[in-house]
Amino acid sequence: MTAYLLRRVLGLVPVLIGVTLLIFFLTRVIPGDPATAMLGQRAAPNLVQRLRTDLGLDRPLFVNLQKAQETGDWRDFFDSQYFSFMAGLLRFDLGRSIYTLIPITESLRHRFAATFELTLAAMVFAVAIGVPAGVFAATRRGTLADTAMMLLALSGVSFPVFWLAIIMIYVFSVTLGWLPPSGRLSVGLSLEPVTGIYVIDALLRGQGRAALDAARHLVMPALALGSIPLAIVVRMTRSAMLDVLGQDYVRTARSKGLSERRVVRVHALRNALLPVVTVIGLSFGSLLSGALLTETVFSWPGIGRWVYDAIAARDYPVIQGGVLFVAVMFAIVNLLVDMTYALIDPRIQYA
Amino acid sequence: MKKLVTALLALAFLGLASAQTLVYGTSGFPSSLDAVDSQDGNSLVVSSQITERLVDFEPGGTDLVPGLATEWSANEDATVWNFVLREGVTFHDGTPFDAEAVKFNIDRWNDPNHPYSGRDQGKTFVPWGWVFGGPIGEGNLIQEVSVVNDHEVQITLTKPAPFLPALFAAIYFQFSSPTAIMENGVAYGTPSVGAVGTGPFKFVEWVEGERIVLERNDDYWGGPAQVEQVVFRGIPEPTARLAELQAGTIDIAVLLSADDLATIENDPNLKAVIPETELNVGYIAMHQATEPLDNPLVRQAIAHAIDRDAIIEAFYGGLGVPAQGFIPSTMFGQPEPWPYDYDPERARELLAEAGYPDGFSVDFWYMPVSRPYYPAPQPIAETIASYLAEVGIEANLQTEDWTTYLADYQTGKFPMYMLGWNADYADPDNFLMTFFGPTAPNDLGWDDAEVRDMLQQARQVADPDVRAALYSEVGNAVAEAVPSIPFAHNRTLNAVRANIDGWIASPLGYSSVSLHSVSKAE
Repeated sequence: MTAYLLRRVLGLVPVLIGVTLLIFFLTRVIPGDPATAMLGQRAAPNLVQRLRTDLGLDRPLFVNLQKAQETGDWRDFFDSQYFSFMAGLLRFDLGRSIYTLIPITESLRHRFAATFELTLAAMVFAVAIGVPAGVFAATRRGTLADTAMMLLALSGVSFPVFWLAIIMIYVFSVTLGWLPPSGRLSVGLSLEPVTGIYVIDALLRGQGRAALDAARHLVMPALALGSIPLAIVVRMTRSAMLDVLGQDYVRTARSKGLSERRVVRVHALRNALLPVVTVIGLSFGSLLSGALLTETVFSWPGIGRWVYDAIAARDYPVIQGGVLFVAVMFAIVNLLVDMTYALIDPRIQYA
Repeated sequence: MKKLVTALLALAFLGLASAQTLVYGTSGFPSSLDAVDSQDGNSLVVSSQITERLVDFEPGGTDLVPGLATEWSANEDATVWNFVLREGVTFHDGTPFDAEAVKFNIDRWNDPNHPYSGRDQGKTFVPWGWVFGGPIGEGNLIQEVSVVNDHEVQITLTKPAPFLPALFAAIYFQFSSPTAIMENGVAYGTPSVGAVGTGPFKFVEWVEGERIVLERNDDYWGGPAQVEQVVFRGIPEPTARLAELQAGTIDIAVLLSADDLATIENDPNLKAVIPETELNVGYIAMHQATEPLDNPLVRQAIAHAIDRDAIIEAFYGGLGVPAQGFIPSTMFGQPEPWPYDYDPERARELLAEAGYPDGFSVDFWYMPVSRPYYPAPQPIAETIASYLAEVGIEANLQTEDWTTYLADYQTGKFPMYMLGWNADYADPDNFLMTFFGPTAPNDLGWDDAEVRDMLQQARQVADPDVRAALYSEVGNAVAEAVPSIPFAHNRTLNAVRANIDGWIASPLGYSSVSLHSVSKAE
């Protein structure tokens, strides 16, 4: 297992270098650059020129052959935008946003914690409701309850997140006044961050009121974001359960006289969970990067919105830092999923 | 159980916080509180509560009033200006506001080699280039700033500028404490430092992407503000901003969608706030590099073919007005009213006269983002296309990413396109020079040296009547040649809770003037 882990982690290195190359060049393939984005309509040629120099955009992208030839110093060959980015990366320095001049690592800490909190809440919601619902539907296959459950799951996938979010805001905030419409914490409350995950931080600091307030802010975004994985988890659990319930060993377990409850929970569910865990892992990864709509509607200061705005502004360091970070997280989640397999299914061996 | 009830009761009142806290919902997060290094309304509305300008606009209007400077005067040809500074003013950190501080700030913006310009670390001062041409050596309007005495500076220009005070009134040119800039370097303006100015509110805290907290400056030269604290929250979706306002979790919501006017008017807890005039204009440009748009008759035909009033009626929620020219109607230098009424019959005649009796086909580019002057670009473009189709012109709708759009319109790639403008300062120069000045040959394919001369001339004469005459002449020349069709001016919709008083929306598109006089009743 240790050797396997080590191999997997080392295997990530070339993958991540590939990712940096991809991000770096794809970002620059988009027409326009930060200078044209910042100057907008008033991009007089002399202003563009000065800004490009100020921002270091006039340096070569990949290698600086010309400078190396001029100076005769081979190190100048690497005096380029890509290698500066990589050199920073080695020091865990992702640079500053071109627009705000805020260091990327500082923003990342804040933004990622927000997205992570939201994604985690959404996944907990999806799994806590989705797995039991899927089991419920599978064990009552063909009944009205099953059909109803599937219809509900289908609508979960079909409702646009944006629409669902706006409806929730109108119903629960504007009309009923139960939940705050957006943001993470009410005005008037403040919280010294520890992990950046507000609900946890407030509990750690013993601020019950802030914890409750943060949790209340989390409810609607988590429901909106969780609606799609919920539907997927329900359907996945149901079909995996149906598969397993038809297997010989389940029949054996039943014929041994075990209670139906024990058959379902221990013998069937454990085996059915394997594909479900994969789906959960993949959804988690994609939610981390794809929470954009939810973050926008609920003014949630997460990574999705941040990177989205950066793309519109051609804020290269933010795009690079943000996407790279999400890629790393995605890789880690995948690794965790693979390891979870072993815990669920002892037949899976790592060598 | 009792504890739970208490907790729930406390929660019910959470949103209200203290009555002395004013919560302001903006459309997004600031990029920087170093005003002249930022260029978006969301930043400037926050920084302008902390840092102030030499010259200000009258609240809600466009007339100049004293700011940190109390008087100004120029020599005869408007190349040397003297500004007398307000006395007894200090920055929030205790640094005196004096002539040295003014010189420090302007030099920092204007001189690329200034030790605290921070350009090598990423400060860009983009708006300085927009308004003042560029830093020293690159189109600079300002040659030198010299200290006359503690409370007077002299500014020498490279060429005459009779409207210099209006330039300094542009919202970007806010003065910061030199001490704070020297101490913090590149971090000045970022969340960790904020801004240090002379304004009615002091910076307290900025939680990135969530909120910015300011507190009242009790020593403000204009007397302390009405509210103790201001909290800015960035809420990108207009629907969510309105929902927050309805729920009472914010007190001011700016830049709402025009469709929501009825909702606001029917809600007794809310008040709509709409500026009397708005300094913006949307237009339809026709690039003359493309046939048959190089034919003035064809451009006139297009102008006659589009029913602007009907489109504005349909898409502007009652807040838009058809443009009579390229400068807002409240401004001096008005041309004759726009001569091209909706007249499809006349449009067909003109097309026939131009040699296109069966019409033609053209690519028409619309903006991918909405702006006050085009609140719904795509539907507006579709409607324009249907009007054009009526006279036989087939407009193929096209669009692309906004940054690319802004780079491409100047290359002649778009034969016909929609674009618009929000003013930086209230002067016709900011509109007409932008559209028909030196960039007109790129933007419109329109090369009219006479118009450009008039614009240059208007920049340099001090007599307001002569300037007005020149601008209206330019306006008439534009109307005759129709390189572009002025479409609409639009006013933005903002709203406040009913217990908020004294809030004035700015016509300059930044949605707020100072919050100094805003009060909040219990």
